[in-house]
Amino acid sequence: MAVCVAVIAKENYPLYIRSVPTQNELKFHYTVHTSLDVVEEKVSAVGKALPDQRELYLGLLYPTEDYKVYGYVTNSKVKFVIVVDSSNTSLRDNEIRSMFRKLHSSFTDVMCNPFYNPGDTIQSKSFDSIVSAMMVQSS
Amino acid sequence: MAQCAQSVQEFVQDSFVPTVAVLCSADAERVTRRNNLSFPELLRPFCRLTSEGHLRDPNNLVVVVKGLRISVTGVNTQPLQPGEVRKLLSQAVSGCQPPEGLPANVVTAGDYDLNISDRSVKASVPWYSDWKDTFTQLSSSKFYTATTPWFEAYRENFLQSMPASDHEFLNHYLACMLVVSSREAAPTEQFQRLSQEQHRVQHSGEYTHPKWFIPNTLKYYVLLHDISDGDEQRADSVYEDMKQRYGTQCCYLLKINSRAAAAGPAEQMPDPWSQYLQKSRAQSPVSPAVLSEVDGHDVFCACVAVNSIDTSRKQGGLPASSTPVAHGACLTLNDHDRIRQFIQEFTFRGLLPHIEKNIRQLNDQLVSRKGLSRSLFSATKKWFGGGKVPEKSIAELKNTAGLLYPPEAPELQIRKMADLCFLVQHYELAYSCYHTAKKDFLSDQAMLYAAGALEMAAMSAFLQSGAPRPYPAHYMETAIQTYRDVCKNMVLAERCALFSAEVLKSQVKYSEAAALLIKMTSEDSDLRSALLLEQAAHCFINMRSPMVRKFAFHMILSGHRFSKAGQKRHALRCYCQAMQVYKGKGWTLAEDHINFTIGRQSFTLRQPENAIAAFRHILINDSKQVATQQSAFLREYLYVYKSVSQSSSDVTLPQLPLPCLHSAQTRVFFGHERRLAEGEKQAATHVWLDQEYDGEQAQLWAELEEQVVGVANKGSVPIGFQPTQYCLSCHTDNLRYPLAVVEEPIIVEVVFRNPLKVPLALAELSLLWKFTPKDFSRPPGGVPGEALSNEKEVTALNDIISTEVIPEFTIGPEETKVARLQLLPHKTGELQVLSVLYSLGTVEEDNGTTSRPTFVRGRQDLEIQGPRLNTTKEEKTSVRHGPDHRLDPVITPPMPLLEVFFINFPTGLLCGEIRKAWVEFVNVSAVPLTGLRVASTHPEFFTFGCAASDLTPVTPTASEHCSAYKTMATPPSVAATMLVSPAMFGVSGDDRPTVAEIPLVGGGLGPGEALQIPLWLRGPDREGVHEINFLFYYESVEKNAKLSHRVLRHKAFICASRSLSVRATACHSNTLPRRGGAEEEGGSSMLVFVDVENINTSEAGVREFHIVQVSSSSRQWRLHTCINPTGDRDSRLASRERGKLCFRATRCRTQEGETHARKYTFADLNLGNEQIVSSTTPCADFFFRRGSPSEAQKGGVSVGGANHTRRQSLTPAGGADDGVTGVVQKCSEVELNIIVLWKAYVVEDNKQLILEGQLHVALQTVGKEACSVPQKEEAQEMVLLKFKPDQPPPVSRPTLEQLSRLIKTCLHYPESYDHPFPQKSLCMVPVTLTLSNCSLAQVDVIIDLRHKTTSPESLEVHGTFTWLGQTQYKLQLRPHEVQRLVLKACFFQAGVYNLGTPRVFAKMAQAGTMCETSQQSSMPALIVINSV
Repeated sequence: MAVCVAVIAKENYPLYIRSVPTQNELKFHYTVHTSLDVVEEKVSAVGKALPDQRELYLGLLYPTEDYKVYGYVTNSKVKFVIVVDSSNTSLRDNEIRSMFRKLHSSFTDVMCNPFYNPGDTIQSKSFDSIVSAMMVQSS
Repeated sequence: MAQCAQSVQEFVQDSFVPTVAVLCSADAERVTRRNNLSFPELLRPFCRLTSEGHLRDPNNLVVVVKGLRISVTGVNTQPLQPGEVRKLLSQAVSGCQPPEGLPANVVTAGDYDLNISDRSVKASVPWYSDWKDTFTQLSSSKFYTATTPWFEAYRENFLQSMPASDHEFLNHYLACMLVVSSREAAPTEQFQRLSQEQHRVQHSGEYTHPKWFIPNTLKYYVLLHDISDGDEQRADSVYEDMKQRYGTQCCYLLKINSRAAAAGPAEQMPDPWSQYLQKSRAQSPVSPAVLSEVDGHDVFCACVAVNSIDTSRKQGGLPASSTPVAHGACLTLNDHDRIRQFIQEFTFRGLLPHIEKNIRQLNDQLVSRKGLSRSLFSATKKWFGGGKVPEKSIAELKNTAGLLYPPEAPELQIRKMADLCFLVQHYELAYSCYHTAKKDFLSDQAMLYAAGALEMAAMSAFLQSGAPRPYPAHYMETAIQTYRDVCKNMVLAERCALFSAEVLKSQVKYSEAAALLIKMTSEDSDLRSALLLEQAAHCFINMRSPMVRKFAFHMILSGHRFSKAGQKRHALRCYCQAMQVYKGKGWTLAEDHINFTIGRQSFTLRQPENAIAAFRHILINDSKQVATQQSAFLREYLYVYKSVSQSSSDVTLPQLPLPCLHSAQTRVFFGHERRLAEGEKQAATHVWLDQEYDGEQAQLWAELEEQVVGVANKGSVPIGFQPTQYCLSCHTDNLRYPLAVVEEPIIVEVVFRNPLKVPLALAELSLLWKFTPKDFSRPPGGVPGEALSNEKEVTALNDIISTEVIPEFTIGPEETKVARLQLLPHKTGELQVLSVLYSLGTVEEDNGTTSRPTFVRGRQDLEIQGPRLNTTKEEKTSVRHGPDHRLDPVITPPMPLLEVFFINFPTGLLCGEIRKAWVEFVNVSAVPLTGLRVASTHPEFFTFGCAASDLTPVTPTASEHCSAYKTMATPPSVAATMLVSPAMFGVSGDDRPTVAEIPLVGGGLGPGEALQIPLWLRGPDREGVHEINFLFYYESVEKNAKLSHRVLRHKAFICASRSLSVRATACHSNTLPRRGGAEEEGGSSMLVFVDVENINTSEAGVREFHIVQVSSSSRQWRLHTCINPTGDRDSRLASRERGKLCFRATRCRTQEGETHARKYTFADLNLGNEQIVSSTTPCADFFFRRGSPSEAQKGGVSVGGANHTRRQSLTPAGGADDGVTGVVQKCSEVELNIIVLWKAYVVEDNKQLILEGQLHVALQTVGKEACSVPQKEEAQEMVLLKFKPDQPPPVSRPTLEQLSRLIKTCLHYPESYDHPFPQKSLCMVPVTLTLSNCSLAQVDVIIDLRHKTTSPESLEVHGTFTWLGQTQYKLQLRPHEVQRLVLKACFFQAGVYNLGTPRVFAKMAQAGTMCETSQQSSMPALIVINSV
């Protein structure tokens, strides 16, 4: 499904990036980083609407030749980015949405861990396994 | 952002200009050559018209032509080959670099401040607020410079090098100038010939490349006259002739070269040609340097100045010269005006009317054709078209890009007309024509033509000033798509995209422009892709909400393409700009990648400092790269670094990034490395770097040192005393400069951490220092010596300070390792340790290769930040750090250095065991030492003996099997006594002596001398492991201003195991002291019961204990005799056995003892045949050094005392009772210390050993048990917190029990008495009642004899008797007075009687109010009355 899953802090530094190991990791870093511009644009466009009714899911950020990049912003401005293969046409918007929701709830669990220091990179096994599950299904 | 110097309109206009060909006769060429110019070049600076031109369109409307430019080129100029074009372009780009050193412009975009090397002030202006104003300002303003000049250079060159195409006519020649010199023999014929030549070129079909707009090209005849050297009249006459022949409109006489070439170099002439010619000169010949750069092979010799002039100039064959050739040397300003005039004349008289005529002509043709229906027209084309028939079969449709109309095809006429209109700025007509043409071409499926028409239609729509028509962006898109996909013509597509992007940008449609530019990137041209990506990146940042990250990403892509295209400098610039976005944001992978690229590019561009900085950055950050990648980075870094350091001859070594140096954890140690045990000798532990810092320990040592210094300075600690610190770390106080002694090493421990996943190898590790020699013995104020440093060569100054060099030092992956580096100063002065010097290299895994891994030399500074200051308010509110002088030691003159060794020092002892060990003191320095003292946390543990003792065997070996005690052969008998003053044993007052002076022969130790003295140890009373700290203190004989004393530490661990437990009780004896000897003893005696239990648990080791002797030591009491009931003299105790000993103690003759010096009486009662003299060294020493009675033992007494004081403060009225209480208590107090000396038989390794020991019991209260083994303190229970003050305790009175012990009574009578009752019925027996006052106060005593025993049982047992005579006595007893009272008892019959009936009441004489207390009745006193 996903080839790259990233969590980005409010201040736009990566909290977690994981990509399919066979691929060029650097490329995904660049892709995710660049997508932040679009996220910012979308958020600032949406931001004028009522804040509590804001949709967290941002939808397709932009398509590249090989990948589609989807975004999601939590209320605390933490961004989730999922990159999927363009060739994978079976994925519907709803499925992406549910992936994000899963990711969000797992992320919430990580944040609830009293030993987690907010702002640190995420090193959680359960989070890892959730992300792996998202990536494994594809291959 | 790439803003152009021109507005978009200007740019488009200038890109499409009428072109004019020039055909020159050889003579005319020669005339212009005098100025180093060809004829077209001569005209070029004057090709822009300054005045407006006019012409009429087919509808007779006047069209104003503003700022028209014409392009003049030689007719034989060859179009460039694609390869040449590529070279030309890359040369143009690489030749144009951003200016360096200019104040860069900062663009603030969101959270980012981008430092982009453009100086366009307006780029960051918020567009949305008033974009139109901004835009007009931008486009009209000439103040800002172009920001991506390389892109503009590229564009200009690209447009100029566009080959003429068949589908459009914009750059086809409209006219041809025929130039003939006036010196020609027959100018007219020459004109004729040139005209024929032109005709041949245009119409013969032999030539393909110069393309002509219209079949009848305008021919313009120019007669060139050289003023300085020609016949002017002839020229005029020829001109007249020409006018007649060709008409005035098409002729011109141009007079130039007003002065001779050699004339006046002094006169400064503007050189308008240079800016045009520089480019043209560099055009075709390409220098090898540039070639190589373009090919990307040899990158090192890149960027040789491209504008240096080539050796071979293209056709002219001018001599090569490095100085720019002066152009127009023969031209005066008048000549310039003439040329300008000529161009104007040519344009207005010749060119524009020609164009006007042609437009009319074409228009007429089109109008005449309009009558035909479109379909019929195309149908006729079908029938009669012949060669130009477009194939419309389905199969051919795809291929229609190749469709070509013949040059005179009617479809092209409209396009021609449109182009003409466009060239003369009649955009409205041009648009409608293009639009019509587009429809035609599309219906013919002539895609190339259609695309061209679309492109130009869009352009002319854009250029129509004030037109209601919006810019048709989709036209452009379609055009680009068609060019690219259908026609596969990237050049045209690119041109179209360049225009479109420019237009879109001018309309603030940045995202569209960016998308367009990105679409145009392709694999076939790296340079174009790079440039377009860069422009796209600039578009992103100029968007309404700047997309910084997209900017950065596209800059990286652009940089990548630049580097592929061989444009290293531009690539580096791109990466650097992108870096600003990625820097420090946690995107480490990307950051590393950029840094790596920057490093590489910088290196190839010979910017090694930048390269090193970039590589350094990759290495020091916690890199997430894999190990192989890291090792690649490292190798690259080392390689770059090495090549840099080889090339530069800098004196100061550069800083190395690896491994990480934890400066704060640096530790400094002063002194030698610790010597370990030598054979039996065990060195003092002292201080060493391996020991962890322990704050409590440090505090403890500091306190000990303060104590010993206080003692050494006769009770006062000097002001400014600071405990000696041998090992400085981040925990110690480093505010002062530490003191080091000359000729003693300084060891600096530095902590390295390798952050990488590959091992690092360091070599030749050493310290870098700075040293200022100073002589401290001289008075201060002397001139300090010059500072020295070992920076140049590490070991060069070894005669001043020896520097240790560690040859090899390897740090594993992600390892933290310490290195200890030593310095040995040989001179006094001030030293500063600055940094660590080392060579950094990689560890080669492959063992077979011979290649030595590369090592680079560098340093890392040791910069230690002091602790944060937090005392004043200012310091609290700001962050300030204090100094840290850890690494700046002061080297002081020599000081003695003591080494201490312990011989036979045990590790385990029984509790109370006495062991003799030896200490060796060695002065290893060259300076004598004195004033040796020792302080300890456990002074009761050891003793060096008192000064008087001389009983010791002289060597440790001789003493092995001797007893530690001094013994005398004496049979057991009455105790031998000895009076000893505690001062003899160095004990003064009650406090424990923590500091002891060590007796040295001659008071000191000379250099190199050693001294062995005995040391007695006594096992601690508590079992368990004990940590015992010794602090040896010593001074130099000579006073050292900096360093008054030195100390040596030793820490010993002793494991104490249980031995015996001694419990003792004392009770008053009721027996009267015997007459004679006892009388003088003061009359009182006590019984002391000593219970000894073997509580040793190790069954294997200790077989049995023997009690050898019991001694007493007290100021008031002494043991007198042993009154053991059994004859068991040598009492032995096996495991868990218990023995009891009974002693009688008497009061010593203390009255005088108390007055002088409070001496102690030692009384020895030996049970065997050997008396241990307890009053001498080991025994008495340990007695005096014994710990104060533990709290548990003291409790009973001290509680009363505490209450006492408390009550005093609360109720001062009760003063009278105090005395009573004190007296009463005194009465039951004893102060007797029992020393039990024992021997233990221990089997160890099948050998029997005899251990000796002594245990102390302090008896304090009569009847109360005291124990040698300190009671275990009960776990403190949780105490409720009280918030109210305690109730004052009830007023304490002496208890009844205590009061009842005031008087001791005793009855003396015969045990049996025979009385003949039959003779005498009354038997009278004399009985003596002895009353002794135990207290120290006067006591009133009442003796009442009337009392009868009332208990029934006693009645049963005893018969009754009566006391005769006085039945009540009142007595007063002085302190310790004994009185005897003679009584008479009267018995009536034989029997057994209890005489103990007298009741004794006592009361203190002073305490008037108190009633008498009944005194403790004595035992039943039975008397047997026999009847005989």
